[in-house]
Amino acid sequence: MTAEVQIRSVSHRFQSFTALEGIDLEIAAGEFIVLLGPSGCGKTTLLSIIGGFLTPSEGEVLIGGRDMTRVAPKDRPTTTMFQDYALFPHMNLRDNVAFGLRMRGVGRKARHDRALEMLEMVGLAAFAARKPHALSGGQRQRVALARALAVEPDVLLLDEPLGALDLKLRRQMQDELKNIQRKVGTTFIHVTHDQEEAMAIADRIVVMNRGHIEHFGTPEDVYLRPRTLFSADFMGEMNRIPVRREGGTSISPLGPLPFDLGEGLLCLRPENIGFDGSFSMGRARLQEVAFFGTHHRCHFVPLKAPDLTLTVNLPQGAHPAPGAEVELFGRDPVLLSEDV
Amino acid sequence: MRTLSWVYLGAIFTFILLPVVVLVIFSFQDGRLPVPPFKGATLKWYAKILGDRDLMDALVNSMMVAILSSLVAVTLGFLAASGLARAALPGSALMRGLLIAPMTVSYLIIGLGLLQMFNQVGIRPSLLATGIGHVVINLPLCFAILYAAIGEHQKSALQAARDLGAREWQVLWHVAAPMLAPSLAAAFFLSFTFSWDEFIIAFLLTRFDVTLPVEIWSMLRSGLSPATNAVGSLVFLVSVAVVVTLELTLFRKGSK
Repeated sequence: MTAEVQIRSVSHRFQSFTALEGIDLEIAAGEFIVLLGPSGCGKTTLLSIIGGFLTPSEGEVLIGGRDMTRVAPKDRPTTTMFQDYALFPHMNLRDNVAFGLRMRGVGRKARHDRALEMLEMVGLAAFAARKPHALSGGQRQRVALARALAVEPDVLLLDEPLGALDLKLRRQMQDELKNIQRKVGTTFIHVTHDQEEAMAIADRIVVMNRGHIEHFGTPEDVYLRPRTLFSADFMGEMNRIPVRREGGTSISPLGPLPFDLGEGLLCLRPENIGFDGSFSMGRARLQEVAFFGTHHRCHFVPLKAPDLTLTVNLPQGAHPAPGAEVELFGRDPVLLSEDV
Repeated sequence: MRTLSWVYLGAIFTFILLPVVVLVIFSFQDGRLPVPPFKGATLKWYAKILGDRDLMDALVNSMMVAILSSLVAVTLGFLAASGLARAALPGSALMRGLLIAPMTVSYLIIGLGLLQMFNQVGIRPSLLATGIGHVVINLPLCFAILYAAIGEHQKSALQAARDLGAREWQVLWHVAAPMLAPSLAAAFFLSFTFSWDEFIIAFLLTRFDVTLPVEIWSMLRSGLSPATNAVGSLVFLVSVAVVVTLELTLFRKGSK
């Protein structure tokens, strides 16, 4: 069961505060979408609007081609996995998972079978008779997922479901979510503020900031070819080098560049600077270095621009010595204008 | 210091319980007056009151009024608390205030008000009128207990239930009520004891069929007798039984 979701010029205001402004979004059936942004960016508001817990001040929401803007949550083909799991403490796991089917008038035997099947899928079939308080956080998480999927929604909404888990468990749950999503084919819309999580699970990421969409694209797109400075910064560390244009060539403090991108800020990820690349960035002195396990994190000061500092992630093998002067090369540069 | 605390403890319990103990002891008095000296034990006063038709009728009346009015008060309080906890309506705070306000008014004033209003609308003084009066005094209590018991955790579970397709009555019946069961029971038993003991409203709003406190009061008018002590002991026994039940079931569970 799956469906596409269309958001058409949705705006939402809480009294005088504008939480969402002119949101347009086309989500294909069966996609794993992540709404990503800092707190207060409107991602949770957008999720609530899709789930029917809020009615937008303007605009409409279509699910599977049908207008759902004013339809109550119980009548929508969506279910939500809540941040605090929201399991029913007085019911055992089987009854928790079967609750939605019970509300739909499914017979006892059929709904219990289905509930066990769902618990099987999340690896908790053995605990069917337990109550939620006897479970760990990660296990409750899975029950919440099984409960939300038991009614075969077209769209599953996930409201920062991994926020309360520790890092290791979170990574593990991310893989599991992705697997389950592939298995059931339901459209997943997942809210998070963790960009690593977003890239790990999303087919496409919606980067949000102050009530509007900054960038909507695949993880590679959003990370490597960010459209705005905000999404460039939010997705990870970024070196910014101001660039101006003079007589058909782009000039940076490091010298003229071998290509013409225009004016603005030249953005380079720390791992896209190194001892080889598509263009030279001139010589620089290594100031500090720290070992991060997967890479060496280095701060270089370009000889031509001593007031700039470049953050460079060098691979483990390369062992630069502080004070050394080397020539740096860059690749995959992105030029972004400053005012957006 | 330690001895002193025990002495203090003993003193305070004596102060609280001595009147009740005296009442119970003299209900066994083998004599015509429930005053010292104690002349020996007998159960004849209990036999007398248990054989007293009016008194037993009043006891049954009290039991009915207490159970039914408490059920109504708990139900209304539960619905009001669920509604006000669910949505922030304009004037929510005012509505909560109005619901709790009757707690601050004395029973005498509430009783007089009800008496006048019932006269206007043509409800005669009766057990029904008393029951309504007891709902009026117990509803604020039930509402306050239940509203306080609905926390964030409950709210998100209720939202999940709606999300999974439950209609509003199903949300209340399958999720809200079971989650609030301890508070519902506490509200019910407290309402029950308040209704069971209540005199002023019952006195003003009953005429032919009366509740137990009103019947006891009319017994007292004919002077002291160990029989009144025996009735008092019975009333006390019921209240104690309710409190002990509460203590053993709900409150113990909560402290686990």
